[in-house]
Amino acid sequence: MTEQLADSVCIRIQPDEDMIQVFRLVTTALSNRVGLNLDQADDLNTALEELFRFVIAAVDEDSRFRIRYSVLSDRLEVTAEGVPLDLSDDSSKVNRYSRFVIDSITDDLCESPNPEGGYNILMVKYLST
Amino acid sequence: MPRKPKNSPKREKIQSLFRDYQETRDAKTKSVLVDAHMDLVRSLARRFANRGEPQDDLIQVASIGLLKAIDRFDPDRNVQFSTYAVPTIVGELKRYFRDRTSTIRLPRGLRERSYTLNAAIQKFSQECGRSPNISEIAGITGISEEDVIEGLESVETAAVASLDMAKDSGDLSLLDVLGDEDKELSMLDERLSLAGAMSNLEAREQNLLYLRFIEGLSQTEIADRLGISQMHVSRLLRRALQILRHELVTPISREPFQT
Repeated sequence: MTEQLADSVCIRIQPDEDMIQVFRLVTTALSNRVGLNLDQADDLNTALEELFRFVIAAVDEDSRFRIRYSVLSDRLEVTAEGVPLDLSDDSSKVNRYSRFVIDSITDDLCESPNPEGGYNILMVKYLST
Repeated sequence: MPRKPKNSPKREKIQSLFRDYQETRDAKTKSVLVDAHMDLVRSLARRFANRGEPQDDLIQVASIGLLKAIDRFDPDRNVQFSTYAVPTIVGELKRYFRDRTSTIRLPRGLRERSYTLNAAIQKFSQECGRSPNISEIAGITGISEEDVIEGLESVETAAVASLDMAKDSGDLSLLDVLGDEDKELSMLDERLSLAGAMSNLEAREQNLLYLRFIEGLSQTEIADRLGISQMHVSRLLRRALQILRHELVTPISREPFQT
């Protein structure tokens, strides 16, 4: 079956706690388009918020944080692009904690190098069948 | 580095100033004592950095704690002032964050919408055994999908849930509902390898995380088990995770969170 990408949304925001509400609204709205239930939408929001807080601690106010949403027929993919920290680095307690939280509540979690620097962190939530 | 002798001239001088101040309550003496302890104030304020508040504000708040500590300190007790002052200053900083984060008030219309949504979600979850999606909530309540999303997320942001907050129905505190320490909670520690931080969470906070992250219950299932709403579980989990993260970043033994 060919995957149908219905929407792709990219937001670029300041690493500021006040911005959490912005991406929570976007995540909830796009979760609705996919048909995720409230539990699933909230899991994705929690994972993204954890990642956001993880990044806030490491970047300055002038930097920007990119979040890309891909709305597919059976899932919502959320990618944090250019994350300056390696989430898979097990040497830090905070890394292990963030990874555990995100991994526990998303269906898929994948980290890959970003060609422009940093890492891309992909989080996926599938529509329940 | 060699430790300073306990009765160093500097310490003697400070103790003498405290005795003077205790007797005279002289403003100039107090000012000298404040100046002598500003490094401590700045150091404690730094421990609360990265929480979205300007550092200057935190130093001011910590200074208030210092003033209170100076007023209350008894130099005859043979305790170092810093030992006495640190909990007072940290307490002042924590109170500041607590007050700052619990004063967001929603417009009445939005609060009423929140009650409607909450009731609809709870009824749907009980009847269908699963969490609804937004279209389903919109269908039940007659509220547009956009307004449902706005209502859910606004309430989520404004609500600073406390584990001591009354549960949605009845007068029981959530602390009563969650019960006592679970033997299996140590699994959460092992999975996270975060013994230090976890031990700073209250048993009930650990229990909530355990249900979600070790037992793997969904929010709706936890809500069903505890007799509270899914929205409330969502807020509590979010708050518990934030507390844990703060403990990891700034490992300070904390006072119980209150509303």
